[in-house]
Amino acid sequence: MSNEDIRVLTAQLAADPSSLVFLPLGEALRRRGQLAAAEKVAIAGLTRYPDLADAHDLLARVLGDAGDLERAFDEWDIALRLDGGHAGAHKGIGFLYYVAGDLPKALSHLESALTADPGAEGVAAAVARVREALATPATAMTAPQPHRPAAVASLPPDSGDIGAAEASAAEVRAAVFEGLEGAQDGLLLLDAEGLRLGGGLSAPDGAPVGDSVAAHLAGVFRDAERAARLLSLGSWKSVAAETADANLFLCAPTAESLLLLVRDNSVPIGRLALQAEHASDAARRWLEGVA
Amino acid sequence: MRVIEPWVAEPLQRFLSESSARVVLLTTASAQVVAQHGFTRALDVMSASALGAAIMASTEELGRLTASGASRSLSHQGPSRGLFLAGFDLPQGRWIGLVVYDRDSSLGLVRLFFDRMVEELRAVAPTETPAREVLAADFENELNASLRSLFGR
Amino acid sequence: MNTDIVAALESVTRVRGVRGAMLVSAEEGLVVAEASMEGLDGAAVAALTAGVVARLSRATEAAGRTPPAFVHLRADGGGLMAVPALTDLLVVAVTDPEVNVGLVRLELRRVAENVT
Repeated sequence: MSNEDIRVLTAQLAADPSSLVFLPLGEALRRRGQLAAAEKVAIAGLTRYPDLADAHDLLARVLGDAGDLERAFDEWDIALRLDGGHAGAHKGIGFLYYVAGDLPKALSHLESALTADPGAEGVAAAVARVREALATPATAMTAPQPHRPAAVASLPPDSGDIGAAEASAAEVRAAVFEGLEGAQDGLLLLDAEGLRLGGGLSAPDGAPVGDSVAAHLAGVFRDAERAARLLSLGSWKSVAAETADANLFLCAPTAESLLLLVRDNSVPIGRLALQAEHASDAARRWLEGVA
Repeated sequence: MRVIEPWVAEPLQRFLSESSARVVLLTTASAQVVAQHGFTRALDVMSASALGAAIMASTEELGRLTASGASRSLSHQGPSRGLFLAGFDLPQGRWIGLVVYDRDSSLGLVRLFFDRMVEELRAVAPTETPAREVLAADFENELNASLRSLFGR
Repeated sequence: MNTDIVAALESVTRVRGVRGAMLVSAEEGLVVAEASMEGLDGAAVAALTAGVVARLSRATEAAGRTPPAFVHLRADGGGLMAVPALTDLLVVAVTDPEVNVGLVRLELRRVAENVT
């Protein structure tokens, strides 16, 4: 959209503040990267039309581009409560779930977006890609980097390029714990933001869960560090847990990474701690090599 | 996060960071907005500040009538989010805090860090400004002025 | 406060290296009962421990596993241990760094089984 077009829309909005022209104006400003102005236009429009799903969708896209994914999620959530079939909101939330590694929820929302708007650009390709990822074992899956605001409005490009990149990433992740028991399943290395760096994890039914577990573990790391600090227990060293069918051990090989070890109940926690030491050494060597 | 009084910013930011609260609103007892985080619409802020002040005033009056003492805080747990409302005293007068949290937090965490935030606010609050009497005629103007500031307009 | 619960918690604090024990509401992170928590901020212990356990439960759920039946957070200067009781309670112990983890876990489970 040209500068002249934006001037025209701005003049229309100034002449009639209750006009819905704030929607195309906000979208135009967002596409030009003028996010602060786009947000003001969207918020002003929402003040007048708080029940308009399109307005919440606009604000969500602006917030997403600005990197505020949490608020973007909230706005799309509101849009869906106002209009359960809103294609833009399903697409946006679907992408956020994809970024978070929750592929089943991502697929559900992307399929809803496709149903609501069969001609939506890129959605059909995204649905196919997520279906393919769900059908592939854990080591062949990758989740895109979060905090890429520009990627919220457009979905990953040609699937051929991504297939090769995913295979390469899978090889790298497998190398982290090469030679260790559980290198492919039961050992997970992640960064402090919840992104999987290496290893893999499957649920008892075989479903790959490494990425979604990694996302949750970042919160455990933060809470454990906070608890130890605020209760004057010093620096936290590990969190061990026993469930009905597994034992888990979480520790930090470095200040910016986390390691999760999962074994069935036959492996006592004390032995898990020893295995975690070996895995931490391997993780540190790998991280130093990558840095 | 937007604040009217700059000295509120750091304690509030620490509270948000530690408690993982989704929405926070700080107001005076007469519903003048001091700071907010998480609201996207001015109308919601106005409604919440007025309701919060009214609820605290009613609860404190009920406490007085029943000789059960002034209420420090109230909480309500919904299906997916919880609400915490508390009054506290500063040199500037009585303020009210309204906090909305979800399962990323808990009532215990919100109360823990809210109490710490209040201690920090008391430590940094300027002591020279006397508490002002808000006249009915000024009330709406002040609410609108603070809302404009909070929404960057 | 239910004296039976406090007595049960005191059996945990009698283990060498245990600084305090409490019963906590898991969802709200609030203290239900406590024993020998001198020098410890009970409200903080309750809220922070419940937070860690809740977050870990969501991680185990994402992994297709059941919620934790025992959690042990180790730090340089001490530790926290928690065992769930009934549907929404945790039995929590705060410990020194050198403590017999197995003994404390046994006592926590005993308390959890007896909580009514």
